[in-house]
Amino acid sequence: MRRSLLLVAASLLVLVAGCGGSGSGSSNGGRVNVVLWHGYIDIEGKALADAAKRFNATHPKIHVTVQNYGNADYAIQKVLTAIRGGSYPDIVYLYGSWAANMARTPRAVDLAPLIKADPSINWDDFWPAERQAVSVGPKIVGVPALVDNLALVYNKKLFDQAGMSYPTPDWTWDDFRAAAKRLTDPSAKQFGWAYVNDASEDTVWRFDALLWQAGGDILTPDQKHAAFNSPAGVAAATLLQQMATVDHSIYLDNGNGNYANLFNSGKIAMLFTGPWDLSGFPDVDYGIQILPGNENHQTISGPDQWVMLDNGDDRRNAAWTFLKWFTSPTEAMQWSLATGDLPIRSSQTQTPDYPKYTAKYPGIATFVDNEQNALKARPVLPTYNEISQAMGQAIQAILLGKAQPQQALDQAAQQVDQVLAQGS
Amino acid sequence: MIQRALGSDHLAGWLFVLPAVVLIGVFGILPIGWALLLSFQQNDLLTAPTWVGLDNYRTLAHDPVFRDSIRRTLIYTALFVPLSVGGAMAVALLLHRPIRFSRFYRTAVFVPVATSTVATGIIFNWLLDPTYGIANYLLDKVGLGPYGFFQDPDQALYAIVAMTVWGWLGFDVIIYLAALQGIPEDLLEAAQLDGAGRWATFRHVVWPLLSPATLFLIVWSTINALQVFDEIYVTTRGGPLHATTVLVYFLYNQAFELFHAGYAAAAAEVLFLITLVFSVVQLWLGNRRVHYSS
Repeated sequence: MRRSLLLVAASLLVLVAGCGGSGSGSSNGGRVNVVLWHGYIDIEGKALADAAKRFNATHPKIHVTVQNYGNADYAIQKVLTAIRGGSYPDIVYLYGSWAANMARTPRAVDLAPLIKADPSINWDDFWPAERQAVSVGPKIVGVPALVDNLALVYNKKLFDQAGMSYPTPDWTWDDFRAAAKRLTDPSAKQFGWAYVNDASEDTVWRFDALLWQAGGDILTPDQKHAAFNSPAGVAAATLLQQMATVDHSIYLDNGNGNYANLFNSGKIAMLFTGPWDLSGFPDVDYGIQILPGNENHQTISGPDQWVMLDNGDDRRNAAWTFLKWFTSPTEAMQWSLATGDLPIRSSQTQTPDYPKYTAKYPGIATFVDNEQNALKARPVLPTYNEISQAMGQAIQAILLGKAQPQQALDQAAQQVDQVLAQGS
Repeated sequence: MIQRALGSDHLAGWLFVLPAVVLIGVFGILPIGWALLLSFQQNDLLTAPTWVGLDNYRTLAHDPVFRDSIRRTLIYTALFVPLSVGGAMAVALLLHRPIRFSRFYRTAVFVPVATSTVATGIIFNWLLDPTYGIANYLLDKVGLGPYGFFQDPDQALYAIVAMTVWGWLGFDVIIYLAALQGIPEDLLEAAQLDGAGRWATFRHVVWPLLSPATLFLIVWSTINALQVFDEIYVTTRGGPLHATTVLVYFLYNQAFELFHAGYAAAAAEVLFLITLVFSVVQLWLGNRRVHYSS
C-alpha cells in the first residue's frame, strides 16, 4: 500500500514537472531569451513578429520570442495563473485598467527607477493620458503600448439624404441630440446613434467622456469618494436618458458588437468610437469629427501597456532593452504605419514617415489631434473594476428607463463610497 | 505476471486505476480542497493571502446580489429541468415510433448539442435582437411583441431557459431513445394482449421502465442547471441589471473581474452544498420509485 502511494506521488511529480517549465526562456550561451505575450492577430500579429525579427537581427545578445495568449480581454486571468504557477513571460500586453492590479504583484517590475536612470526613453514624449494610466502612486507599471480615443464617426450618406450638414468641431450636445433624432427612422429601423449597453466598461467609458465634458469627474480629487452623481453627472445621464427613452434615437447594443455591423450597413448614423473600429466599415463613406461638447469637447483615451515581469536581472535588463527599442519614435512610427494604430508618442508626428501614415489612413489625423482632448484618465485604483461595475449598472438602468438619473447615480455613488472606504 | 512481481492483488488493482486516480485527484479532489482553503482567505490572486476565517461566509449572508443570484439559479433550475427532461421524453416517444425520416429528425434534434455554445450564443443574439431579430419579426406577423428578450430584465432569464432547453434537449432525447429500445417487445405485447390501451401501456409499462433514465436525467440536468454559466457568458453576461446573474456567474465575476478569489470560493462552497443536497434528496427519493430491472 505504501509503495503504491509512492507510485502515485511519483507520477504526480512527473505530471507537475511536465506542466511547469514551459513558456519560460532562459539564458544560454551568453544569449538572453525574452518571452513576450500578446493578443495581436492578423496585421498587427504580423507587424509584431516582424519587429521581433528586426530586433533579434540587430541585437545578437538577446532573443525575443513572441507568443499569442488569445483574446486580450481575458489576459489578466491568464497572466495571474502564470504567475501563480511560477512560470511567466518577461513582457506582457495588458489593458490600462489593470495597472493598479498589476502594481500589487511583486512580480511586476516597477519601471520608475529604470526610467529615471535612463533619459534615452524620453518618458515625457508619451501622451499625458498614457503616462497617467500606467502610474500607480510612485510606481510606473508599464510602457504605453497602444492609445485610442473616442471621436464621432458618422455616415455621410445618411446626413446627405436627410439634407443635413456634417457635424462641426463646435457641435453642442443639443446639436448632437437633435441630429440623432432627425436621423432616426423607426419604419426603416434606422437609428441616429448607438450605445453599448452591457453595463461593462464599454458602457462606462463613453459616459465618462460626457461627464468630463459637463465639467464633472468620476471621483473626488483625493479619490476617497464618488463624484459622478454631481450635477454634471446628472446632466450627462439625462442626455442618455432623453435620447434612449424619449427620442428613441439610440440603438442599444447588448455588448455583442452588433452596432459595428449595423453602422456598416447604414442602419446607424453616428457612433462614438475609436480607430480600432474603422476597418469594420468598408461599405460606408464615413466622416470623423471630435466629440460634441457641453462645456468642452473632452474625449477619453484608453491606453494599454507593456508590463514587465521579473525573471531575474539578465532577462529583466534584456526585456527593458527591447521595450525601449520597440517604443522608440522610429519603431513606433513603423508600427503605426503598418497597423493604423495612433502614435503613442507626440514626437512621432515629427518623424519623416508621419505624412505617409496620415495619407494611408484617411481621417486618422482627427484622432491624432483628438488626443489633445484626452485630458483626464480614469482612476488608477485596484478597486476600479468595482467602481466601473457600479456605474455600469446605473447607466444601464437609466438607458433602459428603469431608473431616474439622479436616483441611479446616487445609489451607485453610495456603493462606490463603500468600496473606497474598504479599500480592497 | 504483474501480480507476482508486485506481490499483491491489491497493488495491481491500484496500478490499473492509477491513471484515473491521478486525473481525478489532480483535476478534481485537489482543486476542491484548495477552494475550501481559499474560502477562508482574503485572496486577490496577486498578493499574499490573509486568513479571515468565516468572514467571507458572513459577508455572503448579507450580500443582496448573492441572495438574488441563488434565487435566480433556483428559478432557472425549476424551469430547465422539467422542460428539458419532460420535453425530451415527449420527443423521444414520437421519434421512437416508425415514422418517415425519423433518422433525419433524430439528427436534427441532436445537432444543437454538438454545436459550440459560442456559436449558439451568437445565433440567439441575432435571432432575439429586439429591433432586427427574426423572432420579433415573426411575432409581429401574428400580432405579438415586440419583446426585449435578452435586453429586458424581466425576460432575459426566460430567454436563457428557452435557449438552453433547445440546446440540451437532444442529449436527453438520445438517453430516452436508448432506454426505449431497451424495453422488451414481449412486455409490450403482453400488455396489449391484456387489453391495455396506449395510455395504459405507457403508464404501467413504459413509464416505469424509463424510470432509471428519468432519474439519471433529472439528477444530471439539475447539477447542470445549478451550474449554468457558458450560455449566459456568451449572451447576456449576467445582465441586464443582474437579471441573469446566476450563482456561477456571480462567482466568476467576483473571482475574475473583481479579484475577490476568497469570496468567490466561499460562494462556490455554497453552490457545492446546494448541489449535494439536491442530488442526495433526488437519489433518495428516486431509488424508492425507480425500477431497475424489467
